[in-house]
Amino acid sequence: MTATLTPRTPTTARSRPSRRRRGRSAPYFFLLPALVLFVLFMVVPIIYAAWLSLQTYRIEGGGILGTRVRVFTGLSNYVSALTDPDLLSGFGHLGLYAVIAVPVTLGLALLFALLLDVPAARGTRFSRTAIFIPYAVPGVVAALLWGFLYLPGTSPFSDITNALGLGSIPFLKEPGIFGSMANISIWGGVGFNMIIIFTSLRGIPADIYEAARLDGADERQIALSIKIPLVVPALVLTAIFSLIGALQLYGEPTTLKPMTSIISQTWVPLMTIYKDAFLTDDLPSAAALSVILALGTVVLSAIVLGITNRRTSGARS
Amino acid sequence: MKKNRIVALAATATVTALLVAGCSSGGGSSSPSSATGKVTLKFWSWAPGTDKLVAEWNKSHPDIQVKHTDAGGGDASSAKLLTASRAGNAPDLSAVEYTTLPSLIVAGVPVDLTKDVTAATKKNYAKGTLQQVTFDGHIYGLPQDVGPMALIYRSDILKKYDIAVPTTWDEFGAAAAKVKAADPSATLASLPPDQTGFFAGVATQAGAEWWSIKNGKWTVGIADKASLDVADFFQGLADKGYISTEPILTPAWNAEVNTDKVLSWPSALWAPGVISGVAPATVGKWTMAPLPQWKKGDSAVAYQGGSAVIVTKDSKHTKEAAEFAQWLNASKTGASNLLTISNVYPAAISGQQDATKTAPPALMPKQTDYYSTAAKISSNTIPVTWGPDYNVANTAFGDTLSKAIQDHTSWSQAFKDVQKTVVADMKKSGFKVTN
Amino acid sequence: MFSTFTFAPGTGLFQNLADLFSYGDGQFGLWALNSVLYAGLGGFLSTLVSAMAGYALAKYEFRGRSLIFYSILGGVLIPGITLAIPQYLLLSEVGLAGSYLSVLLPIIISPFGIYLSRVYAASAIPTDTVEAARIDGASEFRIFRSIALPLMVPGMVTVFMLQFVGIWNNFLLPFVMLSDQSNYPLTVGLYTLLSKGSGTPALYSLAITGAAVSIIPLIVLMLVLQRFWRLDLLSGGLKG
Repeated sequence: MTATLTPRTPTTARSRPSRRRRGRSAPYFFLLPALVLFVLFMVVPIIYAAWLSLQTYRIEGGGILGTRVRVFTGLSNYVSALTDPDLLSGFGHLGLYAVIAVPVTLGLALLFALLLDVPAARGTRFSRTAIFIPYAVPGVVAALLWGFLYLPGTSPFSDITNALGLGSIPFLKEPGIFGSMANISIWGGVGFNMIIIFTSLRGIPADIYEAARLDGADERQIALSIKIPLVVPALVLTAIFSLIGALQLYGEPTTLKPMTSIISQTWVPLMTIYKDAFLTDDLPSAAALSVILALGTVVLSAIVLGITNRRTSGARS
Repeated sequence: MKKNRIVALAATATVTALLVAGCSSGGGSSSPSSATGKVTLKFWSWAPGTDKLVAEWNKSHPDIQVKHTDAGGGDASSAKLLTASRAGNAPDLSAVEYTTLPSLIVAGVPVDLTKDVTAATKKNYAKGTLQQVTFDGHIYGLPQDVGPMALIYRSDILKKYDIAVPTTWDEFGAAAAKVKAADPSATLASLPPDQTGFFAGVATQAGAEWWSIKNGKWTVGIADKASLDVADFFQGLADKGYISTEPILTPAWNAEVNTDKVLSWPSALWAPGVISGVAPATVGKWTMAPLPQWKKGDSAVAYQGGSAVIVTKDSKHTKEAAEFAQWLNASKTGASNLLTISNVYPAAISGQQDATKTAPPALMPKQTDYYSTAAKISSNTIPVTWGPDYNVANTAFGDTLSKAIQDHTSWSQAFKDVQKTVVADMKKSGFKVTN
Repeated sequence: MFSTFTFAPGTGLFQNLADLFSYGDGQFGLWALNSVLYAGLGGFLSTLVSAMAGYALAKYEFRGRSLIFYSILGGVLIPGITLAIPQYLLLSEVGLAGSYLSVLLPIIISPFGIYLSRVYAASAIPTDTVEAARIDGASEFRIFRSIALPLMVPGMVTVFMLQFVGIWNNFLLPFVMLSDQSNYPLTVGLYTLLSKGSGTPALYSLAITGAAVSIIPLIVLMLVLQRFWRLDLLSGGLKG
């Protein structure tokens, strides 16, 4: 899965550092702060969470309420998470959302990047910043503002359709909710991904296009048949990050939840994790679900990389 | 090569130790208590103006200083308190909602205050109020504010449509039908599925007991006869379109309240403050009345919302903390301050009596009998026992009932499903359950 | 702006702003300063740590390089929701929970930042220059400080930007960690305005105004930093 993500290390043979001793310990020295913090704040908590996922809370002792104690339970949290129908429907919602959000985000990002790359394009710096700015708006705030624009009572879009006698637009009903949800995250995602693709386009030597132009190809043909195939690696990278981001969808539905009864507390897997960890005080169950989600992400990323790797290597040979 | 790795690992460990040691001397969070007898208590509370109440206490109690922090209300804040308590960092005192108190007791967060609560304090609480913090004969907190259920309604519009104030739920249904007939775009009320507290309250009013304890065993009654009747009744109103089930306190609902499309809110005595905040255009047009009853002539209502102050097991100064909690909530000064500064309806009787002498809430300036009606309502409340897994019930209730409404299936079946979920959860946790 | 959404009718934007900045003796200003501290200092340290790590991973060959790199990269797979509570319990063990450091330390490590730094270092720092400096007898640290770091500045600006935005908008970690109102960043402060007990009215219009105001510094920062901005690094490793 890792082949495409590996950055190219130029001149591998010569980059071997000097054989002196201090040269050998240098990389560890530079890595030390990162490693210490990584171990302390990611590895240890992850191990703790994994260990916690094998436990459960039980009531012990006398009295009506008794006292909650933690006991070892094996894999039962995993069994109950995997057999929970809510988890399956959560992945279903996630799938429908991702099917809209990921391609649209990447498609728009690619389109904007290609437009900004046309030699005649003007004001590219301004456009680039303008497209990127929504990324700075926190997802929760964006969701809150979009909520106003979605709710039948406050939506200006629904005001228009109402005036036309068409009734209000069902932004917050099924299936419209998936589009509405995707829309919120697309705004932030397009700018981020556009920059990645755009810079990748800038790295292509201009003389390639010259030959095509001499052959009479117009800008559209150049974009389709030369530029896009050349930025496939960047597209794969953005796809993977978008996919991971989509699987961790949480802020937008949580913010919209109070506005519509269609979003349940277990609407997407991360909301279930939040519910277990913060609402019903069942951290072990949240931990088990997190492990499942992380493994699922790895498998999915591996599949995407596997497919694209085979294609690109096939294309190369 | 191997040696280098060991060196690197050793270096990692050393730096880790240095980092941790260096930092912990810098920014510790332990509660300072010096040998001079001066005590500092940490207190989490979300009620507005708490800082002012605390300042007043601090001025008159130089030896017991209280440091207040607003840690938010709501469900996540209860998780925060639980987590802090597990790590031994809980504040000395914290405000908690009545609904979450049992789960906190189970987790060992609050200490038993039975011995610290004075007779004068007990006398200043109605029996039902104190029962909300009493389990197995032990008192775990000091009630701060209560929410006896009540109805607030748009007196101007109901008058215009010639609709009498409903005193029973049947009348409420009839009034809702009349409102629809008079203005199809308006609704008497929205009663959405996520308002677990409301449905629990009206079910309690009908005689249901969602949780009860007998002989050391729990009984869950979310699907008892009274609750199912309540479910059928409100489904009847919703199916006919008389009431709405759209979420409340959303921008859309707020807009509808502002534009005279939502004409009442059956909730609790704290409702006027909320409406003043979200629908200022309607200030002055509301009136409060006792909540409709299931049987004509009845007058008892349940509680919706409200909070108490607990002392946590992490406190090293239980006695002092209990003293402050009683001053804040049950003393004459404290209860009166809660009313006038925090704008909550005090749990203490003296505060409720003080209220009768003050002006009515800003939402209904002309209703001069507001607080005497309120006192009458709160003198006859039905004590409620919340279960140790209220949060499980709360999320299950909202999700299950929402689904029933979307799929047009039976509400009472949804109640039964919630019951099943709650019973299963309690059994899994190891509680003795009779169901 | 928001009164058009009928959220806070009757009160103008300026009234909302005045209310916001006077709330709780000017707490909003304090929260904003805290956010600047967390995002600014945290972003800076995170950038520095990422740059060092990225440089080491790109320019040296050593045992465990791939293992370390992919372990760190794998960190993005675990959602922050799951990590916040274990991180809290861990920091409580050493008496740090509740302090500024409890929010600063966990955010310094950024898998994405390290990844970007590695990609950037690989393409921006010519190996020949490093080798030449070594032959001249420069120490490894000096090479990093005098040659590598200046070349990596554009990439570091991007990492800083991304980290700053991420920390500025982070809610759950500071919410779980902090227990003193005067340490809150904006996100947690705004949460306490919105999240009251069921008997207490939430301060909606204040929270909405506050949320809108809290975005302004981010946009200003972006406009200021964009001149340094070379996002080329993101795709640097993908060419060829």
